[in-house]
Amino acid sequence: MTAIERALYELNEIDGYAAGQSFMHSLDPRSKALVTTLYIIAVLSFRLDSLSGILFMWIFPILFSALGGISYNRVFLKSLYVLPLILFIGMFNPVMNREPMLQAGSITVSRGWVEFISIVLRGLLAVQASLILVMTTGFQKICYGLERIGMPAIFTTQLLMVYRYLSVLLQEAASMDNARRSRGYGKRSYSPRLWGIFIGQLLIRTVARAERIHRAMLSRGFDGTVALRTRLHWTMTDTLFLIISTALFTATRLTDFSYLFNMIISRQ
Amino acid sequence: MSHHYVKFDHVSYTYPNGFKALDDVSLLITHGEKVAVIGANGAGKSTLMLHTNGLLTASEGRVVIGDIPVTRKTLPQIRRTVGLVFQNPDDQLFMPTVADDVAFGPINMKLPDDEVERRVTMALKAVGAYELKDRPGYQLSGGQKRSAAIATVLSMEPDILVMDEPSSNLDPHARRLLIRQIEEFSHTCIITTHDLAMVRELCPRTIVMAVGRIAADGPTADILADTALLDRASLL
Amino acid sequence: MESQYSHCPATGMQAFAYAIRRIRPTAGNQSPAQSVLVKILTIDIQLDDMHMADALVSPAVAGVAGAVAVGLLAVAAKKVKSDMSDNMVPLMGVMGAFIFAAQMINFTIPGTGSSGHIVGGILLGAVLGPWAAFLTLTSVLVVQCLIFADGGLMALGCNIINMAALSTLVAYPLIYKPIAGHGDRSWRITAGAVTASVISLELGALCVTAETEMSGVTALPWKEFLTLMCSIHLFIGLGEGLATAAVLYFVKSYKPDLLAANRAAGTASANSSYKKAAWIFMGTAMLLGLLFTWIASSYPDGLEWSIASIIGDADLPTVKGAVQDALGGVQASTSVLPDYGSTWSGVIGCAIVVTMVWILAGLLVRRKTAVKKL
Repeated sequence: MTAIERALYELNEIDGYAAGQSFMHSLDPRSKALVTTLYIIAVLSFRLDSLSGILFMWIFPILFSALGGISYNRVFLKSLYVLPLILFIGMFNPVMNREPMLQAGSITVSRGWVEFISIVLRGLLAVQASLILVMTTGFQKICYGLERIGMPAIFTTQLLMVYRYLSVLLQEAASMDNARRSRGYGKRSYSPRLWGIFIGQLLIRTVARAERIHRAMLSRGFDGTVALRTRLHWTMTDTLFLIISTALFTATRLTDFSYLFNMIISRQ
Repeated sequence: MSHHYVKFDHVSYTYPNGFKALDDVSLLITHGEKVAVIGANGAGKSTLMLHTNGLLTASEGRVVIGDIPVTRKTLPQIRRTVGLVFQNPDDQLFMPTVADDVAFGPINMKLPDDEVERRVTMALKAVGAYELKDRPGYQLSGGQKRSAAIATVLSMEPDILVMDEPSSNLDPHARRLLIRQIEEFSHTCIITTHDLAMVRELCPRTIVMAVGRIAADGPTADILADTALLDRASLL
Repeated sequence: MESQYSHCPATGMQAFAYAIRRIRPTAGNQSPAQSVLVKILTIDIQLDDMHMADALVSPAVAGVAGAVAVGLLAVAAKKVKSDMSDNMVPLMGVMGAFIFAAQMINFTIPGTGSSGHIVGGILLGAVLGPWAAFLTLTSVLVVQCLIFADGGLMALGCNIINMAALSTLVAYPLIYKPIAGHGDRSWRITAGAVTASVISLELGALCVTAETEMSGVTALPWKEFLTLMCSIHLFIGLGEGLATAAVLYFVKSYKPDLLAANRAAGTASANSSYKKAAWIFMGTAMLLGLLFTWIASSYPDGLEWSIASIIGDADLPTVKGAVQDALGGVQASTSVLPDYGSTWSGVIGCAIVVTMVWILAGLLVRRKTAVKKL
């Protein structure tokens, strides 16, 4: 699979998940987006060396994907794409911070390694949260939500148009690329000059397409604004979802898990 | 409503780059007619089509739809009367979902919400695509895209339908469905196409275009039998 | 996927790992074992060039960058709306999709044997003009963030500044346009595109470094980080510039009317007003950055500090840890080598809970099978 084919596959996959039905799917995109944002803020606000709290935050993506009827394993796998970058940046912490931090028997873990794990976790969790948002909502509905919370209409229209023509342009580029590769004698990439001709052609075709779309718009009375039929309904469930999630995140954020589990252990 | 005719009165059109696409074209299509416009690539079919809707305005001569001449001022009325279905449905289905696309015209006509909904339902049911209404345009098959594209125009309740290559890129089954759909329309239909078999089935009248001019205009059976004419128009 | 593993020697591995996010030396003949090894060593990063990830930003940095980005978006929306013709709506839309597709096709960076791809800010600027290009590139970043998990939701503001704003609002109008003029000479196009691309990528690298360091997540010292980032992006910028020039040159020869400079000849006044706005925004961003650094250094942990001030001295057992931390100084006694047992118990306890929930959820979802695959 080329990068383009993978992108097409993922687009399709997200749309497939977003077409499902579940508790999460039935929520208003605004409440889901807000909860997702709060969740990520909560995860990122943990101190680098507080591992248990971040670990506990892991249950929320699992819970939310269960509520959304999507496989958490798939979400988890998809989130691994961010790992390389995070690993690279996080790698320096074990090198730089070597003072010991955790010890159990003969195993000592340095502060740097704790921070490293914490960086990896927060990277994965943040991405999982936004993946679940889009997989249970769909890109379009997120845009409707953005418009309703005051994002300029010209920008939400732009987002919707990009999303609409993404697969069209990717397919066009893929077929042009295939035609090139079939005559490319195994060369994998283009010289800048060739690339310029290739992309230049794609650009000219794109602009021609924009003209045709513009005509199709004009012929149906387009006057400069694209009006969407708004159809978001904020219900009591959304309010409750928001309140309960926020309460849970805050509680997790403020709980001292070492203290908590020590109490549990000592009582037994 | 017999006044819904399409009239081209000595229309010529030259593109900004100097290419003369229409050269003294005159024709009259009356209410309820189904007319095919055939011709080789570059013969001026698409340019002709764009004139019916005011997307291009004649350099010389004039186009009249019903009693209304096509001018900048009359464009809203013209576009309500003439519905244009473009060759590539991907260019026509630009909204997030099929229903949004079908509602685009009525919303721009400033219709009230419930009327918009009524028209969306009506148009989608007319082309048998009602169950597709919440799907994004790019997920549809070729035939579904074509039906949805026609619905986006039907929702504006035009009197005249102009279709550019409606049967291109369709598999035989989808093409058959399309022909049945068009047969049922009571609208005045102008269809530009290379699909001569479809022309024979659908349109009693055919206009042949060659190099920006009308080469022939008459009953389909006569024209399709005239091999010399078709050969001259590069249609054989 | 095409294999894109680097051959760089193990010693330079770490330094190069960041680079391969953009520059991926195309593989020759490697044995499977070799390529796996190389992959592990170099951390083959398939993502785009400078996308920041959520894990690397703190909420404060994300917030400031997000605010700047939203502000820029609002201005851009207003600008584009006021001086655009209505054919810009579809044009910007498909150009966004176009740039996305163009970013996926690699070209060889001359002299290095490596391949890279463009970000496309200068190219978009040349076709759409600065503000519309900014909106378009931003929309691409949003799609990449949401659908393809390139950069996160929190880091989106940073990414919009680093990748969209710097190239379309700074490098295009202040560097490309003055050099390229009306784009009637090919050497001027090339000079403009290369200079503007290099500068916009260098500025981007600077911002990535600043944002990462301000967030206090990485232990990588800023000097080394900056040197690394800037030297890598010099090459990437060169590649982007040449590739951009090649496209512009092609378009100029076949469809010159597509270029914004040729379309809008008489917009000198709009241009200068927008320059002012660009400077104001850069100034504001810098000020906010400085302000934030000051706050961050005065209150080592902003959020905990604010939580503490809200909760006060409440001695609830559940918030005890957080309050203790926040009250400062005590931090050392609770987390750094305080009581090994207690910290382990927290980690292990939470790990057990997560595992149980994961398994449970897995069983539940399998029963429900609510997923409707297309």
